[in-house]
Amino acid sequence: MDADLEALDALTEGNLQQIIESWECFCTGTDSFLSGDLSVAADSDEYAASVRALSHYGLTRLVGDHFLQALEESFRKNAVSKFWKSFNPSSDKTAASTVSSFSNVISLMSQEGSEEMLTASLEEICMEKVYQEKLLSILLNSLLSEGDVASELEDYISTLLPRHQLMVSSVLHSTLPQPFLGILRLYFRKILEELSSMITGECEDGYEASVDSGVGFTCKSDMASRAGAMEIEEVYDQSVTLKNNELIKNIGKLVRDLRSLGFTSVTEDAYASAIFSLLKIKVQYLAGDDYRSPVLESIKEWIQAVPLQFLNALLGYLGDSAGHEDSNSGLKSPLASLPTCYPGIDMPSEELVRWQLRLEYFAYESLQDLRIAKLFEIIVDYPDSSPAIEDLKQCLDCTGQHSKLVDSFISSLRFRLLTAGASTNDILHQYVSTIKALRIIDPTGVFLEAVGEPIREYLRRRKDTIKCIVTMLTDGSGGSATGAGNTGDSLLEELNRNAENQESADYDDDLVTDDKQAWINAMRWEPDPVEADPARGSRNRRKIDILGMMVSIIGSKDQLVNEHRIMLADKLLNKSDYDIDSEIRTLELLKIHFGESSMQRCEIMLNDLIDSKRTNSNIKVSAAKATQIDAKQDEGDMSLEVFDATIISSNFWPPIQAESINVPVAVEELLSDYARRFHEVKAPRKLLWRKNLGVVKLELQFEDRALQFTVSPVQATIILKFQEQASWTSKNLAAAVGTPVDILNRRISFWVSKGILVESPGSDSDDHIYTVVDEMSETNRNGLAKGTLEDLSANDEEGEGSLASVEEQLRKEMTIYEKFIVGMLTNFGSMALDRIHNTLKMFCIAEPTYDKSVQQLQSFLEGLIAEEKLEMRDGMYVLKR
Amino acid sequence: MSRRENQDVQDTNIPSSPVASPAPPAAADKHPLQVAKTVDGQAVLKRLQSELMALMMCGDAGISAFPEAESIACWKGTISGSRDTVYEGTTYKLSLIFPKDYPFKPPKVKFDTPCFHPNIDVYGNICLDILQDKWSSAYDVRTILLSIQSLLGEPNNESPLNPQAAALWSNQEEFRKMVMKLFRPSP
Repeated sequence: MDADLEALDALTEGNLQQIIESWECFCTGTDSFLSGDLSVAADSDEYAASVRALSHYGLTRLVGDHFLQALEESFRKNAVSKFWKSFNPSSDKTAASTVSSFSNVISLMSQEGSEEMLTASLEEICMEKVYQEKLLSILLNSLLSEGDVASELEDYISTLLPRHQLMVSSVLHSTLPQPFLGILRLYFRKILEELSSMITGECEDGYEASVDSGVGFTCKSDMASRAGAMEIEEVYDQSVTLKNNELIKNIGKLVRDLRSLGFTSVTEDAYASAIFSLLKIKVQYLAGDDYRSPVLESIKEWIQAVPLQFLNALLGYLGDSAGHEDSNSGLKSPLASLPTCYPGIDMPSEELVRWQLRLEYFAYESLQDLRIAKLFEIIVDYPDSSPAIEDLKQCLDCTGQHSKLVDSFISSLRFRLLTAGASTNDILHQYVSTIKALRIIDPTGVFLEAVGEPIREYLRRRKDTIKCIVTMLTDGSGGSATGAGNTGDSLLEELNRNAENQESADYDDDLVTDDKQAWINAMRWEPDPVEADPARGSRNRRKIDILGMMVSIIGSKDQLVNEHRIMLADKLLNKSDYDIDSEIRTLELLKIHFGESSMQRCEIMLNDLIDSKRTNSNIKVSAAKATQIDAKQDEGDMSLEVFDATIISSNFWPPIQAESINVPVAVEELLSDYARRFHEVKAPRKLLWRKNLGVVKLELQFEDRALQFTVSPVQATIILKFQEQASWTSKNLAAAVGTPVDILNRRISFWVSKGILVESPGSDSDDHIYTVVDEMSETNRNGLAKGTLEDLSANDEEGEGSLASVEEQLRKEMTIYEKFIVGMLTNFGSMALDRIHNTLKMFCIAEPTYDKSVQQLQSFLEGLIAEEKLEMRDGMYVLKR
Repeated sequence: MSRRENQDVQDTNIPSSPVASPAPPAAADKHPLQVAKTVDGQAVLKRLQSELMALMMCGDAGISAFPEAESIACWKGTISGSRDTVYEGTTYKLSLIFPKDYPFKPPKVKFDTPCFHPNIDVYGNICLDILQDKWSSAYDVRTILLSIQSLLGEPNNESPLNPQAAALWSNQEEFRKMVMKLFRPSP
């Protein structure tokens, strides 16, 4: 300022005059420039001279600022409003709401030729800008032509151009109407879609062409034709790129225009979001609801084919990409066939690589989100949907968003699977599938643990879980005639697999002693995922083993073994032949998994059956001899030949419900004869018959028909009584059969349902009369014919097994515990939970041994409190009086 | 040589002397823990366990017993006075201590709660034949408790441990008052 003041002092009248003149000249010159009359300035040096004069007097800054201001004003006045007007027809009403402006966009874009309009108006405004730049350069020239320019002024002058640029972009930005971004986005999207359809269309054409060429060389092998196809594809790629060039050029120009107007980031944002939304649509389209085919590769291919091509061309056009010039040269690098290469692009620029990574990550993420949302369905059809699982695994490996999977899957499990309506079998199947599927996704099992816990917890609350698990374990092949035939995910194969694994694992363990192997193992070590629960121990202990996970539902393998024993006993007792091959196989597998000792009882049961077979044939032989010796003995139709016995060592079998029946005399004789012979063969041992067990095959002959049945002995005994008389009252019949009336009523309903007997009310309200239906009415016959087909081998329909079920055993155990608890509380007054637990552990050691956990005991005690048998006082349990 | 032999004899004799005088049964009663640990305690253990199970399952009203936490040879019992006797509405705690040669010897049974009864003294000792000379290995905890329960209602006034009670027995109303006065309900 001091300098200026001095300069001011030094000014003379003449100087002042000159300054004023020059300023006026400059101002009019500027105005005429801006009004488009370039000729005035270009021709005359007057303007330049005035500028020079002004700058001579140190007014350079004034000149520059004034000029810029003038430019801005004119730009704002002329170009900008015109430019925006073309995008926003309603821009006069500046208060247009977002909604209406959005609809404007739509209407705008729906108009034909909106692209041309965009490019045209862009071109126009760019022209304006270029024109202004030209003016600015004239000014600069005249300013700089002065010769000796102070360095600080030179700096100032050099900032004029960037300032102009800044001015332009800030003016545009400050007046930016809302729909513009949308327009840009839509524009890019449209272009991309066009490009995409063009490229995919071309590709398909290429494939067709390759097929044609394949036809041409029919003698060539498959490989050759495929190679030919690839070549053709490459050629097509190039042609596509060439065709695209025009399109790309347009876009490139547009982008460059936008950039020059300072819309770099806006533009990038627009085409990035266009690409991403297109990619998302593509992923959704490709992924769809079909889980049977992998889609990741095709998505990647698409990324290569469409957006990357586009970006490559675009970046190339803008001059950001290195080596884009030779993208069409057709000179392929020898690595061109590798998937990581870019078709048609030889040397990907850094920018492009970054784009590719971004796009792929985005693709991974959207596919992952898509799959996670549908994970439940995917797992439902697991073995078929494994490609989808593989895809998901790759996505998760890349994105690392496993916790998202866990959260979403658990919530869908809770919502869809762990409900009262789902059958235990289904839950178990889904659980197994989940284990298998998650084993692929995450071999460490960390996430499986998190996901499995709610299922396990839920299953523990179901009563039939154990039964279902054992059924799944044992009903491997063919045994699922009753079930839905879901042999695919039976656990038996898992048992098999497990057996193999275990062997190989042992082998591994042996090798670990080897230093080298240990080193290799050490090198292979990877830390647990961060989500791992440190309380669960390291992954070495966390082996994923389906059976182990099933057992962990139940809590202990003992319960599982026990249930298996009961089911096995049931199965064995209902066998009429001695064919136990499949049972033996299952047992061997179970032994591998659960250990020899725990399956000992089952083994004894099977051995009983094997022994029975031998003994049975021995006894039959001796019986046959006996009949030969005294041939006069005529047994009629009942002989030992039709009779097979299963001799069990009842100590090792589960408790068998005894139910007394009076079998028919002939059978009774047979039984005692058999028992006598058994005693002869197996000297000190005697047979004790369990008459209510076993199966009876019988044929009922009526006047007009004969029917075959396989029934329980009680049912057989009942129906045999009707040989003696055609009608029985239920009380008399019960006495004759030797069962209580209520049991008889239950058993006899089988025959009633088969239409063999009819029930009619007797004299007494609870005394019914059963009569044989000898002649069948037509309606009956139809029903019967159907019935016999369905239930030819019907046993107890009520599902009332001859063995005490696990639940019954549990109930029995619990009543014993209750008595013990009441006993100790009577004598000791009040006891804490721990003391009750310890006392039970100490004294309740006879069968059934107390083997419950403190928690189980606590819940049991809570049950007793609810039944008002106990009370809780100050943390101590006391008897309720 | 002869001396040598003598020495040998002595050597064998010396260890035998402590064996000859084993701990008296009374001592064993005081240390039931040891009883349970002895080798033949195994049989006792088994017997007592099955008795416990039988007792728990029988569900007899008014009698109960359970081993103390430390040992199965020391039990606490509870007897409620039978209906329609002067003891109605009372419950008495007992302690039962089983010898290591149970069931060939009877257990020692005492009342922990003071009980006014002709055959029970102030220390809780019981005069009951089956607990002394009439003991048989066929008896078990349950029968003992049932016997004591019936003894409450039907005392043997011939050989009273508590003469006052025996004298008062004829006056049932007074006796009842006395029973209730001396009865202290267990905590």
